[in-house]
Amino acid sequence: MKRRNFIQKSTAATAFLTLGGLSLESFSSNNTKHITILHTNDTHSHIEPFPSNHSRYANKGGVARRATLVERIRKENPNTLLLDAGDIFQGTPYFNFYGGELEFKLMSMLKYDAVTIGNHDFDNGVGGLYAQLPHAKFDFISSNYDFKNTILDTHTKPYKVFIKDGIKIGIFGVGIKLKGLVSEKNYKETKYLNPIEIAQDMSRILKDEEHCDLIICLSHLGYHYAPERQEIGDLELASKTKDIDLIIGGHTHTFLPKPTVTKNSEGENVLVNQVGCYGINVGRIDFYFDNDKNKASKGKSIIV
Amino acid sequence: MKKFIILIFTLFIIFSCKNDPHHLVRIEGKLIPISEELNPKEVFETTIEPYKVKVEAEMNAVLSFTPNELNRLDGKLESSLGNLMADLCYEKADPVFNSRTSKNIDFTMLNFGGIRAGISKGDITMEHAFNLMPFENELVVVELTTDKLYELINYLITENRAHPISKHLNLEITKNGYNLKINNQPIEASKTYYVLTSDYLQNGGDNMIFFKNPVNLYKTDYKVRNAIIDYFKENDTIKVNLDGRFRSEI
Repeated sequence: MKRRNFIQKSTAATAFLTLGGLSLESFSSNNTKHITILHTNDTHSHIEPFPSNHSRYANKGGVARRATLVERIRKENPNTLLLDAGDIFQGTPYFNFYGGELEFKLMSMLKYDAVTIGNHDFDNGVGGLYAQLPHAKFDFISSNYDFKNTILDTHTKPYKVFIKDGIKIGIFGVGIKLKGLVSEKNYKETKYLNPIEIAQDMSRILKDEEHCDLIICLSHLGYHYAPERQEIGDLELASKTKDIDLIIGGHTHTFLPKPTVTKNSEGENVLVNQVGCYGINVGRIDFYFDNDKNKASKGKSIIV
Repeated sequence: MKKFIILIFTLFIIFSCKNDPHHLVRIEGKLIPISEELNPKEVFETTIEPYKVKVEAEMNAVLSFTPNELNRLDGKLESSLGNLMADLCYEKADPVFNSRTSKNIDFTMLNFGGIRAGISKGDITMEHAFNLMPFENELVVVELTTDKLYELINYLITENRAHPISKHLNLEITKNGYNLKINNQPIEASKTYYVLTSDYLQNGGDNMIFFKNPVNLYKTDYKVRNAIIDYFKENDTIKVNLDGRFRSEI
């Protein structure tokens, strides 16, 4: 019995080595992986393109056109995530008449992967948002709103890890302080937690516990505020956290011509991007990974 | 034993992958405009169509009629549209407030910037109401001390523009100061005043800080836009005049 055991073990060891050789070869070969992140923010119920006589945004935007773009990019790279940084609701009569039903239906058809919650998404109350959830086939990620005592309890996630081509992408979401901005009868007993502390917690969990290769923060805090306003914007959030690769922002309707590269608390680069509002633009960030140690040791290059 | 072998293999595969991880080496970022060059995807257009038809029908519904153009620029310290907005909000909200508190509102004050669009001579449609008030702001009543009331008056005088106020307030800027009456009465220092405004302004919007921290705050649960729509539906012809409720002799 013991001898038989030994033989089997040695067989195992042989197979082990063979496979080991194979796998070492396959892993050490030059292997690049490519993740594409597409994002919108503050679409504000803008379903149709702006009319041709519009003073600022003539013929821009439109969900049906966005669909063509997203489909084209997904064909080019199937490892694509589509995200939104909040304020999906409010801005056209589509919201006033249908309460966000069409917005969520179209975003589901576009195969959005995740969104965070903006202040205007509370415009019909937590109940109004809850009522539209059956139309949404994507995740609501919110890390600093505690919905425990509201109808939204269990319907949002503090973070989510997506795996695309073996790359682990951790996403969390932060929202703006609701008091003074949203009527209390709309947000009810939603508790707002400090977004910087929460972002520090979330990035630690996603890095150390979930071992993510890429960490993305969906933010509806706003891009940047004057210091006297004592409000937390994305640039401040970036400077007081670490391990976040990309902050996708919203709220301030900031049209950034290209993503901002800023430094985190450890002096490393963080990208902050926001693409204005009303579905006029889509942001695209491509992340390239390599397992060639020589390339990796040179650090990452950022081309914006 | 077979399970054991599989376990060893699995562990080894995980281990060898860990030894050779992928590192982020390059990031590229750009902005993609959604323009006419992108053809709309048909299935999206057909999904939108039934919603669009219904929204357009609702927006084209005729609510009332105006024999004159209404805008916010036809007076110096008052305007036809501002007077209409302030008066109709009072008319719609005062009964609600009275039924709950047995008190009456003293006057309305809104902001010039809150009048988002004018209304041309002719039919008034639902779309006009939405353009005039695209936001979800609600009417609130703030109970003000006379100190805060005087801050409000000073604000009006300093701003020197046609912030909408209802006909119940009569303010004349004079060479030596101003004349003020509310409901034809002079100000009584011991009294508090009930002012109708929007929750946006009550929260300090347009620097109307005198509305913050009032003696009491009463919510009406009545949206400004709904007050406008209800008023238009109840009045088949809109009559509004510039009546000098806020004027300057200098």
